[in-house]
Amino acid sequence: MNRLTALTEETRLALANLADTASDLAVPSVRLGVTGLARAGKTVFLTALVHNLVHGGRLPLFAAAAGHRMTGARLQPQPDDAVPRFDYEAHVRALVNERVWPQSTRQVSELRLTIDYESASYFYRKLGPGRLHLDLIDYPGEWLLDLPLLAKDYATFSAEAMQRARAANRSAIAAPFLQAIAGIDPDAPESEQAAQELAGAFKTYLAACRADAHALSMLPPGRFLMPGDLDGSPALTFAPLDIAADSPAARTGTLRAMMERRYEAYKTHVVRPFFRDHFARLDRQIVLVDVLHALNAGPHAMADLEIALAEVLGAFRPGRRSWLSSILSRRIDRILFAATKADHLHRSDHDRLEAILKRLVARAEERARFKGAEVEVLAMAAVRATREATVKHRGAELPAILGTPLPGERLNGDTYDGQTEIAMFPGDLPNDPESLFAQAESISEAARPTLQAAQADLQFLKFRPPELDRTAEGLTLSLPHIRLDRALEFLIGDRLA
Amino acid sequence: MTGPEIPTTRKPAAFRLDDARVRLTDDDTRQPAADEALITQAFQEEEEPRLPRAASTPKTGFRFGKWLTIGLSGLVSLAIGLAVDSLIRDLFARTDWLGWLGVALAMLAALGLLGLAVRELAALMRLGRIDELRDRLAVAAEADDARAATAGLKDLVALYRDRPETAHGRKVLAGHMREVIDGRDLVKLAERDLLAPLDLEARRIVMNSAKRVSIVTAVSPRALVDLLAVLFENLRTIRRLSALYGGRPGTLGFFRLARQVLAHLAVTGGMAAGDSLASQVLGHGLAARLSARLGEGVVNGLLTARIGIAAIAVCRPAPFVASRGPSVSDFMGELVSLAKRQETDGNK
Repeated sequence: MNRLTALTEETRLALANLADTASDLAVPSVRLGVTGLARAGKTVFLTALVHNLVHGGRLPLFAAAAGHRMTGARLQPQPDDAVPRFDYEAHVRALVNERVWPQSTRQVSELRLTIDYESASYFYRKLGPGRLHLDLIDYPGEWLLDLPLLAKDYATFSAEAMQRARAANRSAIAAPFLQAIAGIDPDAPESEQAAQELAGAFKTYLAACRADAHALSMLPPGRFLMPGDLDGSPALTFAPLDIAADSPAARTGTLRAMMERRYEAYKTHVVRPFFRDHFARLDRQIVLVDVLHALNAGPHAMADLEIALAEVLGAFRPGRRSWLSSILSRRIDRILFAATKADHLHRSDHDRLEAILKRLVARAEERARFKGAEVEVLAMAAVRATREATVKHRGAELPAILGTPLPGERLNGDTYDGQTEIAMFPGDLPNDPESLFAQAESISEAARPTLQAAQADLQFLKFRPPELDRTAEGLTLSLPHIRLDRALEFLIGDRLA
Repeated sequence: MTGPEIPTTRKPAAFRLDDARVRLTDDDTRQPAADEALITQAFQEEEEPRLPRAASTPKTGFRFGKWLTIGLSGLVSLAIGLAVDSLIRDLFARTDWLGWLGVALAMLAALGLLGLAVRELAALMRLGRIDELRDRLAVAAEADDARAATAGLKDLVALYRDRPETAHGRKVLAGHMREVIDGRDLVKLAERDLLAPLDLEARRIVMNSAKRVSIVTAVSPRALVDLLAVLFENLRTIRRLSALYGGRPGTLGFFRLARQVLAHLAVTGGMAAGDSLASQVLGHGLAARLSARLGEGVVNGLLTARIGIAAIAVCRPAPFVASRGPSVSDFMGELVSLAKRQETDGNK
């Protein structure tokens, strides 16, 4: 059964790729997969990318723009008619006029950006003006956590979920859910009531894990956190049960059989179409990781983030692209791992941030390299919300950032109202990224107070989007950024060569 | 940039800009009063990016001259081959052992030629690598790209790996590369730590050669002798500088170097007019006050120094970023004082 579905999936993908290849003969296109867990900054990245390309922003390291070879970029009707359009204009308005970050994404949306350029090579220039379609997709980052489920059956999913819920760092948050599940016998006759209660408890537990104080990432299934339009459907009303990963098949009519059926339905109707439509046919991938958010919450959040990233990235297909093989199967031949929100740190800490990210994605990076894809790791900020400064205070010189914290952000007992500008020194990142992870395993409950003290060395506030300068004509200048140009050069620079 | 060792005690801190105890300033050197925080905003560069290098590189189309050279040299080699062949036939016709001797000698010559070609090729490639490294470092320093600078400096360290006199510099530089430092600063540090001793030595080589030329010119009986001396000195200087900076020029490589030096001289001759013309005119004035002979010596010495400076620019595997590199005026003072000393010696 499973092999059959895999085979049909592969065939459908191959056919879709064939169609893509045919249309690419007219105007080549690049499908850029923006991958990132929730709150990693996917929407902001896309908005900034489009804004900078369309408005000719400062991109000194993006060769096509810096060499003045790019003649323009414009938004075009997207190829898929069934998918909503990425509401770029509203996001820009929110960022520029109201100075707020876009709301968290609730559904998939798509955008096609067409870039006109002249090739740097004499031969290609003679073939006519160059044009490249850049297909961009935005989606709720929570859904990404579903991708690893494709390879797991219900028993495995249950066992892993229960193991995580009982782990030392989660058992307190999971207490209500664990209590609910203790009173349930998997082999009892099926009951909608019990299923709903258990699913409700599971959802509450997942949502609690995600709160800022814990900032945990490994919380599948993703639709439980961001249901989209499926809220309340049976496919979303299941929960893990307390069974072993290798337990024998369930008898029909039991609660367990019902849960298993719904889990499979979730995979078939939710996860697989999502993967097929948006991730199976990518050319380039950028993986956005909000390292600072996890750092704020401590080593457990870091360890959790590492696991989540490794599992999610395992679903993608990196590999070298060859002319012949690309007709039938697309491979991701360049992957950029980007630590977002680098503007919340002083420039001198960016290299350490990169080192931490490198350590976080080490497994995925190695796999991609082994398969022949090009990989790069970068600290960037798609929209730069702060400026840099030096603070001299009590004989010390601190590398600081200037910006306006979001209303409600707190530091050292001080709460900000979203209006005052502050100079902030967030603490020094460790030189050795290993030290951030080594702690997670060795911490017992007894060591918690010392951990809290160590954690106080780092504190990252969230800042409001920057105030933009306007020209005399009232035009807004392009959004400032950190290394967005380098990211673009790596991701699509070679297709504009 | 932060220094290598960061105290672990730095706690997160925030300062409200509307606080009375917080002051904004543009002056780096000011110190805060007690319990006051002084904030200096970092200067944000808004420089227009340079056009890609290709835009300003002259197009090299078909080289008909090259075709001519290849054709003619091919014909010459064929002629030589034919001559050798007929010679060996003749030798065999006379006696067998003479013929075999001829074959052995021809093989020896062929092997020698092969070895020569390989070595020349290796030398040329090494020079090419040095040129390319200099370009890369220049670009990295200009773009302030730490990654490109680190990659370039690794090659630079590799270039000097078998040079014991650079051991200390290499070690220090390797340490810098592990730190968090901007691209431009890395190149500057390489210049200071790794290349400074070589630069000093290069300066001395040029100085000594300029002195020798000026003395020889002053005492030589004939113009032809001067000319030969100047030519010989300059070629020797170029060769020594190239070896000093890590090139191992063979004959072809040396021709290439000499050509580059001449090209460089032609370019900088025009460009440097502003900064060194005045001093040169001044030099002429000084020279004129010396006896004609000695003045001529000083002028020839300056010419040699100029060629030496051009040779340094061509042979050095990194651009001058931190310092401006040697200039003619650096050599002027010493040459003139040398000439004066000679004059007083001669008058005694």
